[in-house]
Amino acid sequence: MPDPERPVAISPAAPTAGPSAWQNDLAPIASADWNYNFAAHLLERAGFGGRPDEIHALAKLTPAQAIARMVRFEDADPTQLAPFDESGIRDPGLEPFPPSRPAVTDQAKETGHALGIDVKRAGNRRLQPIVNEFFYWLRASVLETHRVAYWWANRMLTSPRPLEEKMALFWHGHFASNEGKVRDYRKLLRQVELFQSQGTGNFRKLLLAVAQDPAMLVFLDAGVNIKGASNENFAREIMELFTMGVGHYTEKDIREAARAFTGWNCVDIKFVVNKDQHDDGEKTFLGKTGPFDGSDVINIILDQPATADFIAAKIYRFFVRQDPSPQLQATLGSKLRNANYELKPLLETIFLSRDFYSPASVGTAIKSPVELAVGTYHKLGLTAIPGVPDFNSVTGALGQQLLSPPTVAGWNAGQSWVTPGLLLERGNFARDVLFPTISFIPPDRYGSPDIRSVADRIRRGMDITEATKPDTKSGDLAESNMAADRDEEFNTRYGSYRGWQMAIERVKAIPRDTAHINLTKIITGAEIKTTSDAIDYLIGRFMRVPPGGEVRQKLIAFLDYELGTADLAAARTYMEDSLRLALHLIMSQPEYQLA
Amino acid sequence: MSADYFKFSQASRRDLLRAAMYGVSVSAGSALRMSLFGQAAAAVAAEAESNGKILVVLELSGGNDGLNTLIPYADDAYYKHRPNLGIPRKQVRAIDDHFGFSHGMAGFERLYKNGQLAIVHGCGYENPSFSHFTSMAYWQTAAPNSGEPYGWVGRLADAMAPGAPPNFLVDIDSHQSLAVRSKLHVPVVFDDPNRFTREVFAVERTVADAAVPAIKVDNPSQGYLLDIARSARSSSALVREAWAKYKSPVDYGLVSLDLPKVAALIQAGMPARLYYTSYRNNAFDTHVFQADVHQRLLTYASDAVAAFLADLERIGRADDVVVMIFSEFGRRVPENVNLGTDHGTANLMFVAGKQVKGGHYGKVPSLTDLDSGDNLIFTTDFRRVYATMISGWLGYRGTRELLHADFESFDMFRKREA
Repeated sequence: MPDPERPVAISPAAPTAGPSAWQNDLAPIASADWNYNFAAHLLERAGFGGRPDEIHALAKLTPAQAIARMVRFEDADPTQLAPFDESGIRDPGLEPFPPSRPAVTDQAKETGHALGIDVKRAGNRRLQPIVNEFFYWLRASVLETHRVAYWWANRMLTSPRPLEEKMALFWHGHFASNEGKVRDYRKLLRQVELFQSQGTGNFRKLLLAVAQDPAMLVFLDAGVNIKGASNENFAREIMELFTMGVGHYTEKDIREAARAFTGWNCVDIKFVVNKDQHDDGEKTFLGKTGPFDGSDVINIILDQPATADFIAAKIYRFFVRQDPSPQLQATLGSKLRNANYELKPLLETIFLSRDFYSPASVGTAIKSPVELAVGTYHKLGLTAIPGVPDFNSVTGALGQQLLSPPTVAGWNAGQSWVTPGLLLERGNFARDVLFPTISFIPPDRYGSPDIRSVADRIRRGMDITEATKPDTKSGDLAESNMAADRDEEFNTRYGSYRGWQMAIERVKAIPRDTAHINLTKIITGAEIKTTSDAIDYLIGRFMRVPPGGEVRQKLIAFLDYELGTADLAAARTYMEDSLRLALHLIMSQPEYQLA
Repeated sequence: MSADYFKFSQASRRDLLRAAMYGVSVSAGSALRMSLFGQAAAAVAAEAESNGKILVVLELSGGNDGLNTLIPYADDAYYKHRPNLGIPRKQVRAIDDHFGFSHGMAGFERLYKNGQLAIVHGCGYENPSFSHFTSMAYWQTAAPNSGEPYGWVGRLADAMAPGAPPNFLVDIDSHQSLAVRSKLHVPVVFDDPNRFTREVFAVERTVADAAVPAIKVDNPSQGYLLDIARSARSSSALVREAWAKYKSPVDYGLVSLDLPKVAALIQAGMPARLYYTSYRNNAFDTHVFQADVHQRLLTYASDAVAAFLADLERIGRADDVVVMIFSEFGRRVPENVNLGTDHGTANLMFVAGKQVKGGHYGKVPSLTDLDSGDNLIFTTDFRRVYATMISGWLGYRGTRELLHADFESFDMFRKREA
């Protein structure tokens, strides 16, 4: 059923979705049904959106070939993707890194040294160099983690294997860990690399690797899960969030599983089993009894039917839609189980199914912030993530900063991605890309107001005590501000300032190029002649669901007025700014958030 | 704001929103006319405005350790369970001969001594969940072990104001909390008021500022986004202006918990009756080395709440607002070997406000008669405190339908002047 508002310039008059009878039908779609819009939908979901040339390339294949190209991507050469470029910020004395500043200074007071630095023999602020080093690593790891996020986002943007990165993003939200607790970019980098290399492989292998992954071990307190005093954090989450979901185990199963994982830990960035901390007694777990260790527990979990059902349904919700029927979930679960947890057959089934192209699935997903940002850049034809606006600030403000999920449960997806505040913020992101600010302040070089205030006062010649007194407004000082610095052996605020300084000396700067955009070239290249065709082209190129109501007419009228003509040939030399304004308005539409 | 609230029980949320929009936009000649709803409007408005009181809910996420918040320093069992983490009597800010606040909580101590802080003991529910996410969902829906899809604050908004007037329910956070999920209302959810604005160039205004199209769509996600766009359009200017005008001499401390934003909106006369905010990101989940970090978290929370009440006094609205504070569970009574505490059960709740009758409420759970998992046995269903807020404070009578059962309220508020 042709839609008069569909951008005819790039898409043949093909349906955007199949008939509603396709919903819940896992049968593969026929070659005769395959079209440009379906290929666009596939790239949108299995990757980060497609440009017209990429969509055409998939549309020309049979559906089976197109899906195989996305899923069986081994032939796509990844060598153009550079490995992460390390700044080299790790100092030898930092392992093991104490849990808090007080723990560092207590250790220093007791032993005479900490973090590889000796306490000053005499004089004032004898612990200051140690406190500085503590804050140095905290800051340097955060800044380097921001660089890891940039590196990963660039892979999402440019990889010839978009599903590899999309699946890594899925697992990052599933097996969530964050820098705030891990405090070591190296562990997070390794975790991302694990998700990239094994994320489309076998779930059994992946689960075991995650249970032995240093970032996860730190994030869920493995270091303190020892014989006789087990810590249930990981044991609980592996069942509740990572495999089965609530209702398939008891509190006792959690306690028994925690015992089985005792002694699993990491030293620096290596997994170790501390045999003397492992409880090798009998455990009864999910109805089985034996001297289980962590691997045994994982195998028992993987024997539970609930695990495959849970994982298959979560993958489905990520790639297709939020509300799979119980029957569909059961079918997908048995697919995953029967494939012995190989993930590619499940992904192929999903992407090839009629259900995936049914009206309930097409254009009904709300893009996550990372999908929105990477997809916007990809459809603009960029080959690198711009430094302005800052990718991490943008995605963080929108609610999904890479390597910083809020909790072990990852992010709330679906409708939770958009609130009234965030909808406006998404439009503002588009403007910051199309019309970058000329007073951009790089957040990886520029400390917080507190730090800057200390820095300014120190440089003006104030002594440390005076320089680090908090700014106070009139009225009572809150307890937290009064209590901040009472120990004369060191000054925390000074340490925080000095740590910043040491960190930016060693962490490489993020390049701050703005987006290199040429909409005139894109429009001219597509042989667009009129303003109405230009609006239709932009809607078709950037949106999967066209805006409702009179918006299209308003946009055309806007562009006509801005250019002073409906004839693009006449406006070719000066139309760039007006096209960008029109695109900003398109990207501010509620429908731009749909994929 | 406009008093054009309307009640039309068969109307879908979208119809109501559309009608609301037509009420303020140019399409007065449309088929959806205000007169359709006119008669019910006055009744609903009267109900929604019944007493004008405001409830602020503050969530302490992660499971706050209640025993190290309000220390039962006169109970030897406390020190037996907490040989390392127990806070010594001399460091406690004693409020009576049994209890005292953790030493950073000067703010709460002051509120208590001024008679403005209610402490409710032993709050929990049957068959407690030890999962953050599950237990938090139970507290946020007020429906343990049920699968209730809407939040209790959202349901409260629906019940108090079924006409779903805009800007009735505010959630300050980076994402919408389940607690405010509502059938009829689109909660105003924002984080940074300065960013709560569509930044456009002057030439774009004709398109950017146009009303959100009142169209019927089959795609539920598109419908949702159009609703959100309408809400954003009606609230963003209000919020931004309120924040721009707000200047307070009150020191909220290092972490203000978004309470200055609530104060700014109240000062500006935002019609919201329900506010929801949180100490975010599982902050109170103190499994390891908890002493310093927990102490710090409590100091921040206590500073911010005390400052908020002082700020309300400054703007002359202290009699109209209470803050209810909760966490999804307390922590296990015995400390763990990592100088931290694990997920527990019953916990304290706090209610702060000038109209609150300060003091202890509920039965203090025993520290010697624990359950098999070394946890407190709850003495007060947490929904009794919700019921107290709903009927006692906000004056809404339909507590039973809202909470799916009868819960006895506490007599927690001062007599109002006639």
